Amino acid sequence: MGCSSSVPDKNTGRMEGLNAENGGSNDVNNLKVKLVLLGDSGVGKSCIVLRFVRGQFDPTSKVTVGASFLSQTIALQDSTTVKFEIWDTAGQERYAALAPLYYRGAAVAVVVYDITSPESFTKAQYWVKELQKHGSPDIVMALVGNKADLLEKREVPVQDGTCYAEKNGMFFIETSAKTADNINQLFEEIAKRLPRPSQ
Amino acid sequence: MKIEDLVLPVSFAVPGNEIGSSKLESAVSISTMGRQSEIKAIAGREEDPNPDSIDQSLDALENQLASISISSNPPSVTPEDEEEEVEDEKVEEPVERINFPNGSFTGESRGNEVEDEIEGKQIGGSSMAETSGAIKESSSLVWRNISEGEEAELPLSPSSSGYAGEMGSTSGGDEINDDDDGDENEIREVKNDGGVGSPGPFISGKRHPDEDDASISWRKRKKHFFILSHSGKPIFSRYGDEHKLAGFSATLQAIISFVENEGDRVKLVRAGKHQVIFLVKGPIYLVCISCTEERYESLRGQLELLYGQMILILTKSVNRCFEKNSKFDMTSLLGGTDTIFSSLIHSFSWNPATFLHAYSCLPLSYATRQAAGAILQDIAESGVLFALLMCRHKVISLVGAQKASLHPDDILLLSNFIMSSESFRTSESFTPICLPRYNSMAFLYAYVHYFDIDTYLILLTTSSDAFYHLKDCRIQVEGVLLKSNLLSEVQRSLAYGGMRIEDLSMEPTSSAGATSSHLGHPRSATDSPGRTTESFVGLGGPAGLWHFIYRSIYLDQYVSSEFSSPINSLRQQKRGYQKIYASMHDKEVGPHKTQFRRDENYVLLCWVTSDFELYGAFDPLADKALAIKICNRVCQWVKDVENEVFLLGASPFSW
Repeated sequence: MGCSSSVPDKNTGRMEGLNAENGGSNDVNNLKVKLVLLGDSGVGKSCIVLRFVRGQFDPTSKVTVGASFLSQTIALQDSTTVKFEIWDTAGQERYAALAPLYYRGAAVAVVVYDITSPESFTKAQYWVKELQKHGSPDIVMALVGNKADLLEKREVPVQDGTCYAEKNGMFFIETSAKTADNINQLFEEIAKRLPRPSQ
Repeated sequence: MKIEDLVLPVSFAVPGNEIGSSKLESAVSISTMGRQSEIKAIAGREEDPNPDSIDQSLDALENQLASISISSNPPSVTPEDEEEEVEDEKVEEPVERINFPNGSFTGESRGNEVEDEIEGKQIGGSSMAETSGAIKESSSLVWRNISEGEEAELPLSPSSSGYAGEMGSTSGGDEINDDDDGDENEIREVKNDGGVGSPGPFISGKRHPDEDDASISWRKRKKHFFILSHSGKPIFSRYGDEHKLAGFSATLQAIISFVENEGDRVKLVRAGKHQVIFLVKGPIYLVCISCTEERYESLRGQLELLYGQMILILTKSVNRCFEKNSKFDMTSLLGGTDTIFSSLIHSFSWNPATFLHAYSCLPLSYATRQAAGAILQDIAESGVLFALLMCRHKVISLVGAQKASLHPDDILLLSNFIMSSESFRTSESFTPICLPRYNSMAFLYAYVHYFDIDTYLILLTTSSDAFYHLKDCRIQVEGVLLKSNLLSEVQRSLAYGGMRIEDLSMEPTSSAGATSSHLGHPRSATDSPGRTTESFVGLGGPAGLWHFIYRSIYLDQYVSSEFSSPINSLRQQKRGYQKIYASMHDKEVGPHKTQFRRDENYVLLCWVTSDFELYGAFDPLADKALAIKICNRVCQWVKDVENEVFLLGASPFSW
């Protein structure tokens, strides 16, 4: 993993600060949650976020540097609102060791891979393990196979994703940021699965 | 190909032999930090000159090179072809010039001659000195292997004027349409918005990734940059795919390590028109191969910046990866950073900050800049290490925490990093970065937010958990900016541009020297660029002034006039500045040092005092006495508008 020594000397212990009030929260009807996107570079994390937050898709690839911060609020049918504070992390190897800075205290982790790239699926499994080890114990995890529009180039079968997600207690969905397919569903489904503060 | 066919018309400049030059270098007292450390490095080598070993080592190196080069010599190119390319297109493959397969060089390659590295030393006290001729000196500073054939190609052959020799006719049209693709666009951009030093629409991303060292197109590129590890693994190449260049990288590594094994260090290899410049930074090797006729000092400075950019991304602690595993492959760590390096390299050809070691400010009214400074000061006191408000590559205002100072090179590298990474524009970001001149071992954390397409805020902190605090700071700044209308002021300044030479008054009556003592623009933004191009082509300012750069030594800032002059000389002019800068800083520079250089393209006048450096470019027919007068007036003009073009007293610069 990355070049561990290029990390600021193990400050990771005191990185809670990136969590607004510990994962966000919460009066009963207005949830605020911290969500982190993880995954290999080029799988489309930023595209998913930009599609969700701004309804845009930019086919030119823009490499994320460090992490970008965006937020978006959605309203659920039960008239609650959920404000997602999204950390869109860079997929490059040099940032891997910094990931705890962004995922610590996150209530939701979305692990993304590219259905045309088996390597990115392997990388996704790495992130799941990492989150199981170091993430919050009650973190809601979603496994997302992106670029579902590139069916003819598919190399990771749907069942592989489903299977792995099931085994690890994750929610699984295939999306396309390009066509907007399943993007809102992804976040709605996550919102539904959030633990509600007791009334 | 037989080994005997491979000949090395190369010259080696190894620091261990520069006994004379180390003294000269030590005498330069006003230079930047990097320069001083370099002086130390050279001075440190003074003890082991050992001139006797040079011939041996050169011979051995030749053998080494010869054996290496067999594999890297593409079979498709015959010597005749190469010769033709040289003549017709004035570009050729840089690499194989090291083992130039032309028999005519064989005989001469053994004779070590001495080359004058302190060319253009003839700066006369406080008086102006014409420098034509009188450039070639024979001082025993640098060892070289040189042939007669090469002699003609040497940058500083004593021709009608020293500068003509240097710039030469080879640097005409072919340079402009060469590799630095943005240049023609740049000219267009200057016409459009009059923005001085604006980069051309830079095509981001690696260009020509399909090339490798066997491609003729790759070999014809004028300026290559390479970063490789001490084990010879490629890390970055300006052109072509790093992985395909593994063999080539190994060749470069072999040259460096061969000389290192001799207890020496290779600085420069000259092969025909090409220079190969080496910079060793621990386990990282940087190499530039160029036929652009830039000076060694300039090119080495560019390698230093390239290294600094890498450190900004990874910190120097990346060296530890090599301690653990000397064969460590660094390319994966730099994934996605091609655009950052490419845009830095591109800026070498347009941004004076890359050689002046100074930053420039966006021209703004004093009150506006003060307002921006005040709000930054407020947030700096809340635990922010540095707060910078920038517009493109120019500073609007910047503030540092107590005792913290920001080096101009760090500003350059940081703004390049941010401007070349598109993702910063989409949303606010929080990312680790390292300021090489501040602390090259540790990361800082940068909060970056774009207020509009050009204007952005950088907040730097040592604390990795400060994001929400910095976000609050930004909201605070944004509120003030909106209330004070600063963002529209900035846009207006961008549209108007800065100082225009045609505004410099001809009449020596007013002490101001300029038609107005401030940069208030009476004309409309749309009107002025048109006017400029129409009526001033070939004319420029008074007394044939085309352009100037004024660098304040105390402030570490510079201001330059807009480029609105005979435009085809733009590129040459910049390289000319670079050269004159290097030559002024080559040797002891006291107060009132001046240089006046004339060639068929332009006149360059340089004036260095303890307070400022002034570089003026004039029409080639400009009168010297008049030019000096004009320079005085420019200085006065800059002083008159200094609180608009400079950031004054805002932050504790303390080096």
